[in-house]
Amino acid sequence: MTEHNHSAVTRRGFLKTGVLVAAAAPLLAREPFAEAATKVLDFSTGADVAKAEAEGEVVYYGHDGEAGIATLLDAFRKDFPKIKTSYVRLQTGALYAKITAERSAGRFGVDILQLSDISPAIDFQKKGGWEQYASPEYAAYKPEYQSTPAGHYGVPGVSFAGISYNRSKVKPEQAPKTWKDILNPAYKDGISAKLATSGMQHSQWYILRKMYGNDFWQEFAKQRPKGFDARAQLFDRLAKGEDRMCVLAEYAGYTLYQEKGADIDFVAPPEGMPAIAIYIGVVNKAPHPEAAKLFLDWALAKRGQQVYQNQKILLYGSLRADAGPMPTGKKLSDFKLLFPTDWNDYAASHPVFVKEWNSIMGL
Amino acid sequence: MSIAPLEQIERARPWRPGPRLVSLIVGGAAAVLVLYPIAYLIQASLSVGDPQARPPEAYGLDNFAGLGRYSHIFGNTLLVAGVATVLAVVVGFAMGWILSRTNVPGRAAFEQLMAMPYYVTPLMGALAWALIASPNSGFVNQLWRAVGGDGHLIDINTPWGIAWVMALFEGSVAFVMIGAVMKSMDPAMEEASQVLGAGRLRTMLRITLPLVMPGVLGAAVYVFAEMLGSFSAALVLGLPSRFYVVTTAMYQLVSQYPPRFPTAAAMGVSLFAVMFAMVWIYRRIVSAGSYVTITGKAFRPRVLDVGGLRWPFLGICVAYLTVAVILPVLTITYASFQHLTAAAPSLRNLTLDNYRTALSLDAVRSALWNSLFLGVATASIGVVLMGFLSWLIYRSRLPGAGLIEYVLMFPQAVPRLVFAFGMLWAWLVFPIPIYGTLWLLLIAYLTVFLPLGLRTISGVILQIDRSLEESAQMCGAAWGYRLRTVTMPLLKPGLIAAWLLLFIASVRELGASILLMGPKAKVITPAIVESWFSTSSELTAAMALLQTLAVAAALAIMFAVARRAVQAGGE
Repeated sequence: MTEHNHSAVTRRGFLKTGVLVAAAAPLLAREPFAEAATKVLDFSTGADVAKAEAEGEVVYYGHDGEAGIATLLDAFRKDFPKIKTSYVRLQTGALYAKITAERSAGRFGVDILQLSDISPAIDFQKKGGWEQYASPEYAAYKPEYQSTPAGHYGVPGVSFAGISYNRSKVKPEQAPKTWKDILNPAYKDGISAKLATSGMQHSQWYILRKMYGNDFWQEFAKQRPKGFDARAQLFDRLAKGEDRMCVLAEYAGYTLYQEKGADIDFVAPPEGMPAIAIYIGVVNKAPHPEAAKLFLDWALAKRGQQVYQNQKILLYGSLRADAGPMPTGKKLSDFKLLFPTDWNDYAASHPVFVKEWNSIMGL
Repeated sequence: MSIAPLEQIERARPWRPGPRLVSLIVGGAAAVLVLYPIAYLIQASLSVGDPQARPPEAYGLDNFAGLGRYSHIFGNTLLVAGVATVLAVVVGFAMGWILSRTNVPGRAAFEQLMAMPYYVTPLMGALAWALIASPNSGFVNQLWRAVGGDGHLIDINTPWGIAWVMALFEGSVAFVMIGAVMKSMDPAMEEASQVLGAGRLRTMLRITLPLVMPGVLGAAVYVFAEMLGSFSAALVLGLPSRFYVVTTAMYQLVSQYPPRFPTAAAMGVSLFAVMFAMVWIYRRIVSAGSYVTITGKAFRPRVLDVGGLRWPFLGICVAYLTVAVILPVLTITYASFQHLTAAAPSLRNLTLDNYRTALSLDAVRSALWNSLFLGVATASIGVVLMGFLSWLIYRSRLPGAGLIEYVLMFPQAVPRLVFAFGMLWAWLVFPIPIYGTLWLLLIAYLTVFLPLGLRTISGVILQIDRSLEESAQMCGAAWGYRLRTVTMPLLKPGLIAAWLLLFIASVRELGASILLMGPKAKVITPAIVESWFSTSSELTAAMALLQTLAVAAALAIMFAVARRAVQAGGE
């Protein structure tokens, strides 16, 4: 892996650059409230564990891959064998459409919802979709890693992306070093990115546009990038040499493919790497409310965070103050991560992004 | 002994529902199944307020007016769908004729094998061909460069490549549909032609082709619509060359946040026009001539002796099976045992991990059983329902029967992913709590596969002379009795073909299932596609292969049981 700068994620640092702030934080002041916490295994929970076990089930809606969700739920079931788990997996857009359609029809079958984008998380909050539950485990997180007001959703992990390239297709001396290098005409027709118009791709578009101006992505369009839906496809093609460079290379995807023996390298540009948080919360009118609270507490606790952070199929960096290193030996703070600083501006940019990005991708 | 007049006998019979009443109930129920979600879809296409608001905040035609900016995507779609349909129907007809009407060696075995491409999910076929013929890493192109070639020999990421894969894996249905019609054909007419001095080719073109025209046209209409809704091949092979078709564009529109349902729905609804045109053409052609080959005269299906042409025909069959089955299955099998698929095998790269992971996933274990259950249920109920509907449309002479055909073809016109949103909205508010259960998936499959069943069975029904039913009527047989003892037995090849197609189509269904699956009612194909999105093509290969093997095993067991039942019945 090629890294050019390993400065820590500090709020002051981001604000100083005038670009960014630590974490996906629309969220400052809030009304903290306490739940009566009990200790179970090695974490605190506001749930009544006996009742949760009597409910006997947690229904989870999430955006991660089938194998990733299965890993997460298996680990929870191992800790709480009396509670069965079931899930629905869809990409965030379709997932959110499904749950809102269900709720508008008066069907409340979901206990836990996890989303990969802040916009639907906030929209869901506006619609009263989250159950306001202050997990005792929030104490291990900075205030900006929770909803405003607190208790609607939390942040169980962070994902980030740099540049990755195929070493047999790109000579080391030609390898990209900074974000501006992705505009090098030598890579024309050999670049891939995500087709999605949310989450990480929106974050990258927004941050680099702020950093390099409105023309940056118009220049990028001249490279005729190819768009794909998920990181597995991006890395699959990169590993096989179909594309020479991936400009939205998630660290988790890179790690998985490197382990498989792919001849690829990862570049962490010195400007920093766009990052996004994922959001999880208990759903209002959940059919198994106590089991849902228990699951949320477990997910935010060290036990759950070890699954989120250490299972390579997930590999979300933990924002807990006491989080250990990732399986690659690196901590989240080893990377210079870039988050939008002004949430309102970020949200307002979305329609412009969708239009521009679809056009860049030839859609 | 006095003989009671016929009127008295009729009056003395216990009351049974007449054809009008039964047709009204069944036709009406089928129409409701289709129109209920369509109404929601049309409503969404007219929504001009917040795209996520349900019900819409305001109505207008803006979504249709804005479709002009996607004209290149409509053009792409018509191009690949047209090319793939021509390829599929030509190959389906040629293979159907060779295997049903000629004495090509090993025809019985080939006939079984010909259904194989349809067992292979389109995603698996597309993945296999991506591994075989991608410009840089495709095995063929690597081999080409290894022997001194420059660049690439073939590129599957082109419109022609996409059409090729679509024709192979989604167009193989044409063979089954045309083959069913050919089997139901009295060979006396072909023999008469040859006796009168016509050559084999002339007989095929002047006698066989016109007689099986309803089947061919039915297959063409169905395949073209299927190609318009084709998703996997365009997704896997089109995105690398920035080539979008309507389905892949719609998929992006509804997967993005915020989902743009109104635009996607308008795209889907606009495809209705194409479908109506196809149904209209089909009806015009079949109503303009007579395609009857099954009459009161007994016949035994016989094959033509094509002499030395047997061997070239055998070569065509082998070549087709090689590109449609052997090569893709071998490629996917090879990939499923690799960490990272590479053309040159190495021991270090070999692994069983993909199978370990696949078998550990709930999505494979429980979902596979659910898929097989739904396949059997959809096929069994569907054959009865769609057989009756075919009779209703083409034989009953009831008023409005033709209109029902137009209605029932709706699900074919709109890609299933978008149709599924209509079903989601429709069945969510339905008072009976079937949402999130396998029953909803069963209803969804019966709805979306109505066109498939109708097309397969109607191709055969048009070959049956009405006089056979009329003779039974003259002998006093009630309509239900006639249907059961005359029409249905004659429809047997069509019904068997329809059962097979419905079973396989249900097991591999993707678009409708993605949205309608509940946490406890999952099916296999969405999990496989999802694995391609989020894990790796090697794990996807393992899952797809497991699915194919399970389908093949289930079919083998069912055929064995059916054979035994027939033998027991004959004893």
